[in-house]
Amino acid sequence: MNHSQWMLILNDIHKFYDRLEVLKGISMEVKTGELVTFVGPSGCGKTTLLRIIGGFTNLDSGEVILDGERINHQPPNLRDTRICFQNYALFPHMTVAENVSYGLKIRKWKKGKIAERVEELLKLVKLEGLGGRMIDKLSGGQQQRVALARALSLEPKVLLLDEPLSNLDANLRLIMRGEIRKLQERLKITTIFVTHDQFEAMSISDRIVVMKEGIIQQIGTPIEIYERPRNEFIAGFVGYVNFLDGVIEAFDIGLERATASTSVGKIQFIPERNIHVGDRVKLVIRPETISISKSQPREGNNIFEGEVEIGMYVGSLAKYTVQVKGERIIIDQANPRETGVFKTSEKVYLSIPINIHLLMKSAAP
Amino acid sequence: MARAESLSVPQSSLWEKLKTFVNAELVNILAGFLFLLLVIFLLYPIVAVLIKSVKGPQGLTLSYYLKFFVKGYYFRSLTNTLLLGFINTVVCLVVAFCLAYLTTRGPLSLRKPLKVVSMMPLIAPPYLFAISLIILFGHSGIMTKAFGIKWSLYGFNGVVIAQTLAFIPLAYLMIENTLRSLNPNLEESAYDLGASEVRIIRTITIPLLAPGILKAGLLVFVMTIAEFGNAAILGGRTPFLAPDTYTMIIGEADFEMGSVLSVILIIPCIIIFFLHNYLLTGKKFTTIGGKPVASEPRKITPFVKIPFLAISCAAAMAILVSFGVVLFASFTKILGINNQLVLSHIKNFDSNLAIYNSIKVSLVAALIGAIIGTLLAYVIVRGKFFGRSFIEMVSLSGFALPGTVIGIGYLLAFNTPPFKLTGGIMILALNCVFRFLAVGVEAGISKLHQINIEIEEASSDLGANFMTTFYKIVLPLMFPAFVAGFIYTFMTAIVSLSAVVFLVSPGFELAAVKIFDAAVYGEIGVASATTMKLVLIVMICMVFLNFLTKKTGFDISQKKGV
Repeated sequence: MNHSQWMLILNDIHKFYDRLEVLKGISMEVKTGELVTFVGPSGCGKTTLLRIIGGFTNLDSGEVILDGERINHQPPNLRDTRICFQNYALFPHMTVAENVSYGLKIRKWKKGKIAERVEELLKLVKLEGLGGRMIDKLSGGQQQRVALARALSLEPKVLLLDEPLSNLDANLRLIMRGEIRKLQERLKITTIFVTHDQFEAMSISDRIVVMKEGIIQQIGTPIEIYERPRNEFIAGFVGYVNFLDGVIEAFDIGLERATASTSVGKIQFIPERNIHVGDRVKLVIRPETISISKSQPREGNNIFEGEVEIGMYVGSLAKYTVQVKGERIIIDQANPRETGVFKTSEKVYLSIPINIHLLMKSAAP
Repeated sequence: MARAESLSVPQSSLWEKLKTFVNAELVNILAGFLFLLLVIFLLYPIVAVLIKSVKGPQGLTLSYYLKFFVKGYYFRSLTNTLLLGFINTVVCLVVAFCLAYLTTRGPLSLRKPLKVVSMMPLIAPPYLFAISLIILFGHSGIMTKAFGIKWSLYGFNGVVIAQTLAFIPLAYLMIENTLRSLNPNLEESAYDLGASEVRIIRTITIPLLAPGILKAGLLVFVMTIAEFGNAAILGGRTPFLAPDTYTMIIGEADFEMGSVLSVILIIPCIIIFFLHNYLLTGKKFTTIGGKPVASEPRKITPFVKIPFLAISCAAAMAILVSFGVVLFASFTKILGINNQLVLSHIKNFDSNLAIYNSIKVSLVAALIGAIIGTLLAYVIVRGKFFGRSFIEMVSLSGFALPGTVIGIGYLLAFNTPPFKLTGGIMILALNCVFRFLAVGVEAGISKLHQINIEIEEASSDLGANFMTTFYKIVLPLMFPAFVAGFIYTFMTAIVSLSAVVFLVSPGFELAAVKIFDAAVYGEIGVASATTMKLVLIVMICMVFLNFLTKKTGFDISQKKGV
């Protein structure tokens, strides 16, 4: 690959707080113009990593390479990254325009040019005419926009967003999420977005970096992460999932069909990777892929009989817990209006699709 | 029989009515009683001073005030005092800012030791620094003789140095507090946008800290101009208002001029008390959204680090050396002249008797103060009567009033019937109670704000009357505040000098007064030893308070008025 395609390269980054290792060798690349999200539970090191990229936290070993230049120990004011803090960190004693122009004044821009640029930035974030406002007279969403405008003012090579939406209410969060993505795509600005909200990560990112305990678990597009999680943690982190332990019983290379025996019975599937008979595997089955019905479907494989334990109607879908041979299976049934909601203890039939993602537990001996 | 019964019914219902009335109005009755106490022991003495200053042989007169402004000496003591206050405030703020900046933003290894040293003066009576300066730079001081210094300690400079060291913690605590609550992301954002550290301090840190710095400054100013000990011990021939008042009353028995000086001294204090309260309620810059993040130590540029470190280390050294020499002086015959180790100062009978007396007075003051403070806090927070905020203001004002003024006020007010108290231990104790009431009241108020009123309502709902609820619910919950108020009043009372110096009777000397006399007469050993004993007592109180804070998560504001 062409080297210059990478705007940011992280190379084997380690970070200790006292003796606690919070980053255990982080390596990855970010393409120019890409929006990459760091996601993971709190304490996974995502914010520390962002602060290392921004220059606020020193790394103990490894490399940060920005646009081909090693910037390990460059202070934040000298590196071409700009950060938007979770709490926005707007200067409360300044107006919107003064906040946005703070960096421009330091760069000794001419007054006229500053005014022009501020105008342009406020227009970009849809805050035209609010330049004279004090910060505490703005709504949460408006404050978010000011922080964004301020971070963009110096046209950074990489924009760093630290949980930018976590202080907004649910509706506003959706709107701002869309706007940030639109703005990012329009400006083609390389962006790193930190969040603990997996759904936010899925909806906004080009690629997602899932972290846990200072280690990158997986890097991939939202679809890759959701459909083909590399381990149990990731599978569970990006949405609810049914895990079924099984052993490969048969594998027909020609037909591309395999059978695994599990606690609920035999399950047929299309193997997506190289497996052998006798391998111990974990089948990853998302709740929304299973269909549920009152009567036994006439054809198809992987049909199981079960008993409804709990049925919850949540509007857009119905959520069921179904007992199948002592195993609890969670099912999301879209559009429950068609069939009505099944009741507790009702006998139902489940149909599991044959596109099943596999996690390897151990290879056959 | 039947007749007797029918007679007793209306009687008991009248009694019942009275009981119900008392029960329902108990908060108001209590408030009225407490207000009466405040009027007698806080307002009346001040008014007595005011009256004394304008009452001539033939009715009202302003001739004493005229004398003040005409006679150069008196007027100079006003300008000196204000100048002292101003210089002291500026120096204290600069030093405290450097210290606070380093202890919140500086290298981790420096934070703790610097913080401890910055707060050390809190455990010492302010006049400790006067004594240490005499030992080092007095006429026959160690440094004076060692380097043949011609500079005279006695006068303006000496007072400024002693006062600065004494009031560093006051400024430091307030500035450190605001610095710590300042969201570090704000400074980081400025850093991120390209600002240098000097620029960040100038455009972000200081503007955002301005309200806090201003408040700290006002407090230091009031404390400085009202402080008696340092100015009296080190002032020499330079006139200052507080010690001059003492000379007027005790030396020349000129109560009229003494009162005039007091009134003049009280004016800036009252102005600042109101300014301070106004600022407290005024607009603060709030941090917007989100949880604040702990400040990571970052590299401080040499442009900031070197001067800040230099100032901080100089102040820290001065504080440590001061404690050190006073400690040594307690155990040497005459430190610097005859360095023979002796225990005679520690064993000094007068000194120990004075300490014993002080403990006695302070314990009485602490008990009464804690009770009144707790009750006052309760009526201020829970009462619903008119004039609540006035009571609050009055009860907190003792703190802003110069000790010398209250001292004279007590002397004038309680020398004659109906309230003849002079010469006893009660006048000393009551004086301390009402001067230091503010802390107990504030502790109580903040504790009460943590106690949801629904807890009390639940108690009434279950059938308890006011007394039961107060006794069973409120008091136990407020107990930490009570203890904090008790310890605090005790340790402030025991070191306080400025008011009691007017009120002690010849046979009953207090430790603070003993130290003052010893320092003035050059008995440095006894002065040092007695001071160190007070330091020890205050340290023990601090340990208790700390324990209480940790145990109950209850923090009382660190205020110090001596």
